[in-house]
Amino acid sequence: MDRWIRRTVERHLPWNVHLDLTYRCNERCIHCYLDHEDYGEMTMLEIEGVLKQLAEAGTLFLTLSGGEIFLRQDLFELIAYARRLHFDVSVKTNALLVDVEKARRLKELGVRGVQISIYSADPEVHDAITKVRGSLARSLAAIRLLQGQGLHVKIACPLMTHNLAAYRGVQALAEELRIPYILDLTITPKMDGDAGILSLRNPARDLLPILQDPIFSPKSCDRDDAPQPATGGTGSSSSSGLESHAYDDIPCSAGHNSCYISPYGDVFPCVQMPVATGNVRRERFEEIWFHSNEMNRVRAIRESQLPICSSCTIRAHCERCPGLAQMEGGDLSGAYERACELAELKASVAGVENPVSALHVKNGRGAASCKVPPLNVFPQASA
Amino acid sequence: MSESPARNPKLAWREVDGEIVIISPEDSQVHELNETASLVWKYADGIRSCDEIAVELAAEFDVALEAARADAAELIAALEEKRLLLVAAPVEG
Repeated sequence: MDRWIRRTVERHLPWNVHLDLTYRCNERCIHCYLDHEDYGEMTMLEIEGVLKQLAEAGTLFLTLSGGEIFLRQDLFELIAYARRLHFDVSVKTNALLVDVEKARRLKELGVRGVQISIYSADPEVHDAITKVRGSLARSLAAIRLLQGQGLHVKIACPLMTHNLAAYRGVQALAEELRIPYILDLTITPKMDGDAGILSLRNPARDLLPILQDPIFSPKSCDRDDAPQPATGGTGSSSSSGLESHAYDDIPCSAGHNSCYISPYGDVFPCVQMPVATGNVRRERFEEIWFHSNEMNRVRAIRESQLPICSSCTIRAHCERCPGLAQMEGGDLSGAYERACELAELKASVAGVENPVSALHVKNGRGAASCKVPPLNVFPQASA
Repeated sequence: MSESPARNPKLAWREVDGEIVIISPEDSQVHELNETASLVWKYADGIRSCDEIAVELAAEFDVALEAARADAAELIAALEEKRLLLVAAPVEG
């Protein structure tokens, strides 16, 4: 697959597209960055037009997400249309509305993967995050229905202050269900810029035991060997989820061979990168993808030329995300505190003596001193 | 050679630089076709017969028809074995 990824990066083919069909949702997750009001979602006809353009532009991997996709009454028509255009279709859902019939239709339409967010194996913890009582039980029941149809299901578990200790329980649940899982430490500001939900983000020092745990790496956690567009880890530098040397001197796949389209038709290099490049209601997708100044500005960024990070001695331990750099530091090419803290922690875990990021060197600040404690320090690791 | 091979409609696929990559939703298996197999894939529209596909290959690669027939038959059999192509008798009329 590496050869294809390289080609799509070199030729800037939009190989992976994440399309949110709606921001409406039947859960109210405390960490969610979306505004759930409907300000005029694209109609079925508009989305079909976009899908046609994406197929012509070379998109293969299509992830349909939201919001909650099953709130779209035309979901199955859209998936059927996408499959007729030969897309590889995966969906992300909380699965609360999935019943036998819906599971059967997803299978019949040839959906390759279904990703479902599970925050804990403990219903008290999970339901407190989704703010829907009984949601864990319903999501788990849906997973079993989907599995019963032979669909490939994956659990995604964003970790925040409310469920940090829950990852072991989620891991055990995934093993019991015999499905892959992703742990994700990324909590981003809301779309309107409100950074209040960042208070749900675990302080970096609290993450040390997790970073020490061998299960916490995109390679070991995301145990689905199949190539599949997905985010994972700690805001990984490979937002396509596909490992390749093609990404070696670029921050990630965003704008190179992947992008994000909102329910209102706005096109961004990535769901995590608030750089508006155009709107498919006003312009053709290819016009935006190939000719938008903003898209080309994102594309021009090279790891080796980052003003601060390129000289960082612990760069190999860093999962700097340009989107988060923009959101948290106001500069796509800049360094930002969270990435530096995590990189220093990871470098410590890897045995680097007193690791200090380039940003902290520049600011005359040493790394927060941290002695690496032994593994398994969570007293409630089975939550 | 009178059958008309057709692309398996369950598969996801795209063409990049004249070569086809296919992914199967059933098992996430990725199939990368070379230039010749990619041409066979493109011509396998459920209408053209194997013989007609061989004629297209012969013209494309400027080879003798007999050699193209042999290659086409071999490739179609291989793609059919992997369930990438479905081969059925042509529709009459």
